[in-house]
Amino acid sequence: MAEEQKTKPCRFWIWALTSVFFRLILISFKGNLNLSSRPEVSTPLTSIRRLAEGYWLKQASMSPYAGSMYHGSPLLLSVLGPLTVQRIKGQPSHLLCSLVFVIADILSAMLLRGIGQKLQMAYGLNARLLGFLKSSRDKVILPCGDIAALVYLWNPFTIVSCVGLSTSPIENLAVILALYGAVTRRVPLAAFGLVMATHLSLYPATLAIPIIILLGYGLDAPPIKLFLQTRSVENEKSSTSTVSKQAKSKQTTRLPFLWKTVVHFLFWVLLWSLYVLVLCALSLNKYGGLEEMFKRTYGFILSIEDLSPNIGVFWYFFAEVFDFFRNFFLIVFHVNILFMLLPLAIRLKHRPCFLAFIYLAISSILKSYPSVGDSALYLSLWALFVNELVDMKFSFFLFCGYLGISLLSPVMHNLWIWRGTGNANFYFGNAIGYACFQIVFVVESVSAMLNHDRALKRSNSNHGKSQELSH
Amino acid sequence: MLADDMACNARNEYPAQVFNNENHKLNLYGDNVEVDYRGYEVTVENFLRVLTGRHENAVPRSKRLLSDEGSHILLYMTGHGGDEFLKFQDAEELQSHDLADAVKQMKEKRRFKELMIMVDTCQAATLFNQLQSPGVLAIGSSLKGENSYSHHLDSDIGVSVVDRFTYYTLAFFERLNIYDNASLNSLFRSYDPKLLMSTAYYRTDLYQPHLVEVPVTNFFGSVMETIHTNSAYKAFSSKTSNSKINSEMPLNQLSEDDELQKANIPNDELKTEKQKCPYTQMRVDLQEKLEKLENVDTVVNLSIAVMFIVVMVSSSLL
Repeated sequence: MAEEQKTKPCRFWIWALTSVFFRLILISFKGNLNLSSRPEVSTPLTSIRRLAEGYWLKQASMSPYAGSMYHGSPLLLSVLGPLTVQRIKGQPSHLLCSLVFVIADILSAMLLRGIGQKLQMAYGLNARLLGFLKSSRDKVILPCGDIAALVYLWNPFTIVSCVGLSTSPIENLAVILALYGAVTRRVPLAAFGLVMATHLSLYPATLAIPIIILLGYGLDAPPIKLFLQTRSVENEKSSTSTVSKQAKSKQTTRLPFLWKTVVHFLFWVLLWSLYVLVLCALSLNKYGGLEEMFKRTYGFILSIEDLSPNIGVFWYFFAEVFDFFRNFFLIVFHVNILFMLLPLAIRLKHRPCFLAFIYLAISSILKSYPSVGDSALYLSLWALFVNELVDMKFSFFLFCGYLGISLLSPVMHNLWIWRGTGNANFYFGNAIGYACFQIVFVVESVSAMLNHDRALKRSNSNHGKSQELSH
Repeated sequence: MLADDMACNARNEYPAQVFNNENHKLNLYGDNVEVDYRGYEVTVENFLRVLTGRHENAVPRSKRLLSDEGSHILLYMTGHGGDEFLKFQDAEELQSHDLADAVKQMKEKRRFKELMIMVDTCQAATLFNQLQSPGVLAIGSSLKGENSYSHHLDSDIGVSVVDRFTYYTLAFFERLNIYDNASLNSLFRSYDPKLLMSTAYYRTDLYQPHLVEVPVTNFFGSVMETIHTNSAYKAFSSKTSNSKINSEMPLNQLSEDDELQKANIPNDELKTEKQKCPYTQMRVDLQEKLEKLENVDTVVNLSIAVMFIVVMVSSSLL
């Protein structure tokens, strides 16, 4: 068993290093395999070509947002901009940028592994507390950290978005950093990750809720009732005096919410966001300042000015909506994400990591410019919960669905744009199918998780009843 | 209207370029030349339609004259001509009474205030024999029975590049500078029959003002001198921006203007303003400092590096 445990990390590292080599080989191909021109990979927000254009404009003493090409953060421009210009002889262009993205992927995988290890420990602890495991060897707990890291590294979506030069790896790294900080209770790191993720793309702001729950209540665990049930059963077993019965009635206690940590977290969020805003104001001093930045980054994301096709569902609709109703439908589409936050938070507040995964999945279905990089993130976060989601239904159907959609998408695009034998409906049908598969995936994973909790409750009460009967 | 678009001719060794001199100094087919009718579109019918404004509905604005009762129009025609006609496309001709008719219609419809017709063909002066409308000035390069000749041959291209009358007209304008207030009289007097090998004849009976008082710029426009700026796009979307971009003035001039403005404000007002808001004064100072800061990029890069270091340190400590 010890040997098995030793070989497992070795196997993990072998697989991880192989994926890194695979990426390096793919990067060395000329022209990035034409992936950077695919609309599924590079969106107006994440394209490196637009970043290079923004950098050139900045060097020519113009605002980097002129001409509506670049819509990202000015800090990213300062970091990645010079790398887009550097050229090494004989190597494909943007090689240094690709190396940065490979490093970002490696870091994300390592952080995912860390998160997974914590979750795995918590799962084992909770299972022992609930009395399911006498020792850690009874039931095989899958190493969800390793699995999640490997899923992230070997997911074709991640590889494609890394090689295809979109800035999604960096956005994913910021989100995973925030989650890692929250899980390992490193408050400044969590605050930094959240601020950077929100700064780069607007939608990770929804992660503030699960991170606050993580810092306040702790890691994912079965509902409190189960623990109270176990305790009450044990109390009943021990004595039947009125004192214990009174004590039992008072046991509807709630888990303490650690306000101090949360206030600490909010303080750090404020600090980091002020720092980032001051830096952005400094770098955009001559070009319109913060107002211009907000208008061109967040305003662009929210008002959907660019209607070029992508794997999302916004562009087709907004290409034909009347101007009179445009604002109304913009609000409808964005509220579609917002109104799901509160009910999910209420239902899944005992599992904040899972809540974060659901929020990320919903925002990558319903965001204005989705790409496969977003899917890569939530698919690897899904792999963190393999222990709980073992009984997820339709998993094979969804896998085939994802595969089919990702193979058909370039075909439909080619038929529409290059050959002219198809039209926009082909490509949009594909996008709708992709959205449907994603929705089924999210719904099924939530129901699998809730079923897991219900099964725990049932087996807990059965366990208690069997113990009573045995007495 | 160019019947033979020589700049785009396949036999032109200098594509998209038309020179008026052997020395190839001036490219007449420059960036701000717009040819509205070329090739087969140059017909007498189109010419008369342009003058009178009787177009079909589908004709775009770039192909219309669009003049009104205050316009000064210069009409310059060159090619092959003869007694009371001008040749169009080797297939048809514009006759003098057609031209006079068109001008009369233009006057009726008030499509010009003053019209100057300049013709450089053989027997050019006969083309405006029939004109009767007031406000028209006409000059032709040769009288009836005289030919107009080309000036010189460009052996590189293989054709004669300019006619004599046109050459001396251009030479007159090349001699002028921006401050000369040359009159039409001096232009018309500058033609020497010996050099032209023909007599340049002009009629002023329909034109009321004295030629001595009319500047050449009434009819001959000048090519604009363009100043290139760096900003091709609109600077930024916010209207309340107060920083200056795309100005060619050196920075010290700008600061001089600021100082002048400040000097205009009486001193005691400045003092009271300073006393009122130290906060705004601090912000103004900060903004001035930021504007003076030239290497903003290095500051930003350093700050980003500092941010990462602080993150790593704080995450390992706390």
